[in-house]
Amino acid sequence: MRTIRLIVAAATLVALACAGLAQSQEGPILIGASIPLTGGVSTFGQHSRWGAELAVSEANAKGGVLGRKIEVDFQDNRCNPAEAVKSVTQMLAEKKYVAIFDGLCSSAALAIMPLVERAGVPFVVANASATSIAERSGVGGNKWTFKVNPTDLSMLDALVGWLDKEGKAANIAFLGEDTDFGRAGSTGLETALKKRNLKLASVDFFQKGNADFTSVFTKIKAKKPALLALYAVDADFQNAIRQWYGLGGGVPLTGRVLVDQVPKEILDSGFLDGTTSVQPYDPSVDTPGNKTFVEAFRKLHNVPPILVSFESYEAMKVLIDAIRRAGKADPAAIRDALATTKLPSLLGTVIEFDDHNLAHNNAIILTIKGGKVMVLGMSKT
Amino acid sequence: MDPGFYLQLLLNGIVIGCIYALVAMGLSLIFGVLEIVNFAHGEFYMLGAMLAYFLTMNLRLGYAATVLVVTAIAVCLGYVLYEALLVLVQSGGFERSILLTLGLSMVLQNGAVFLFTTTPRMIQTPRSYTNVTVGDLQVSLMRVLALALAVLAFAALYLILYGTRVGKAMRGVAQSREAALMVGIDPRAVSRLAVAIGIGLSGLAGAALAPVYAVHPLMGASFVFKAFAIIILGGLGNIAGAAVAAVGLGVLESVMGGFLPLVMVDALVFSSMIAMLLVRPQGLFGRGVRV
Repeated sequence: MRTIRLIVAAATLVALACAGLAQSQEGPILIGASIPLTGGVSTFGQHSRWGAELAVSEANAKGGVLGRKIEVDFQDNRCNPAEAVKSVTQMLAEKKYVAIFDGLCSSAALAIMPLVERAGVPFVVANASATSIAERSGVGGNKWTFKVNPTDLSMLDALVGWLDKEGKAANIAFLGEDTDFGRAGSTGLETALKKRNLKLASVDFFQKGNADFTSVFTKIKAKKPALLALYAVDADFQNAIRQWYGLGGGVPLTGRVLVDQVPKEILDSGFLDGTTSVQPYDPSVDTPGNKTFVEAFRKLHNVPPILVSFESYEAMKVLIDAIRRAGKADPAAIRDALATTKLPSLLGTVIEFDDHNLAHNNAIILTIKGGKVMVLGMSKT
Repeated sequence: MDPGFYLQLLLNGIVIGCIYALVAMGLSLIFGVLEIVNFAHGEFYMLGAMLAYFLTMNLRLGYAATVLVVTAIAVCLGYVLYEALLVLVQSGGFERSILLTLGLSMVLQNGAVFLFTTTPRMIQTPRSYTNVTVGDLQVSLMRVLALALAVLAFAALYLILYGTRVGKAMRGVAQSREAALMVGIDPRAVSRLAVAIGIGLSGLAGAALAPVYAVHPLMGASFVFKAFAIIILGGLGNIAGAAVAAVGLGVLESVMGGFLPLVMVDALVFSSMIAMLLVRPQGLFGRGVRV
């Protein structure tokens, strides 16, 4: 009698386990995402989410992947590494996510990297631009992290090459936020300039949320640089650009200037004419794929995509393609598939990862001329 | 460095100092009369800026009218705030008032994030991009306007406090509520008026600075800590002391920022404040002469 009871209990457990397995294989494929949905850069977080969701909805409209729909669980990290660690640790502990997507902020992405390595789950970086993410990935490093967007170093090398040809790289002042983003910007510029036996004229950092830049701008203006490399986003950028104008800055900007966010009145005045910026994307890029993307994005959200929306869209497409090629929703198989990615980009190139799991897409060199933003050209990163 | 460089730093410092004074005056007044530190002060400044943005950019109201409307609404909000919340904690101890105003600050800030998102907004007025140039010196017209509003607000507040019976009553309540009550002053009415004027000043600061700085729900945090430092430096509750400390702090920051890395400036400014408080714990002008 006791043996029969044991057999029945064991059979029940097996049946329950099989039911659970069947359910997990029939339900949606889950991807975890930790991005800033609140806090100072939540505008970027929102655009990142919109870009990723567009890629997912396109895949789901075609029947999903491996016969299952894809779902992304977006959790808020407030651009704070501690919050990112908290949300991703919880997601990894639940063991139901096949991959972790993005982090948006470089500091958050760098904090997530050791977690995914320990858990053996692939991590696809879409927006964070710190060069150290790629330096710590792939050969001799974290084999689970894949960076789809270019690093600051590779973009700035392309920009400085361009400026050097024009004879404008010799006297650049730098002002950036005191974060991994800003620090990577100054290091990237210094490295790119050093290759050409040049160096930065001055380097200054500010704390995020700083409202007043007049004293540092007065200092920079007095040094009479040829260009000012400005690494600021969101409210910091809006405050900085107005105050640079209010002080009659006198020199154009360079670096990763958010030219699409410059107030129209300042652009029209011609004050920033001669500004040269490098970005991973611009909505005006003239390729058929980009036109379709911009149209679809605008239809959904009534605003054009920004670089963050583009990066998340392409990175999510890379991840979905890897899940499809892996043939199963298994993290290790997806990681192996990611390593062999060959996916056409909206920018006309093919996305492939190098030994450091870094893709080398085109960077867009933009300029402001006659109060208008123009694409100068594209340069391989 | 040419003299123009030093003069520009000095000018920047005076402008930013007056901006600090505008934000700090209301905080100082409320502490002077009620002995409550209003941790939500930055959020009322933010709400003033948000409202100014809505009135100018959505309802197309002129900027001068916007400043008046925002200040008037902030004064009304101050009345409501006192009657609905502050009156409950005024006699209940300092700790309760800290908890209440901190809680209110979080509710207002997160409520604004929920309703308006953190997207920065800029007020565009016909003069938003006009600069005033004198020789080598340059400053935006909207900053000059903010400076003028700060000076006007200080003069008006000073006149109210030292030239009217209401002001006398406020100073009386600030010195001793019991004694004020004995001579026929209603401390509750006086406190309510002080909160209304204090919140009105924070609303005015929001409207004055909305064309100068990006408007977003987290903007209050950037000034409120400086405002706390200023009212401590000036002597808690001392309006004139706060104004002098604000301009002094602005000039100190600007001059330091002209020579040192920007990330070091705040640390040095607050170190100076600690050093000053070690020498004069009562602040530069002391509490004895408060409102």
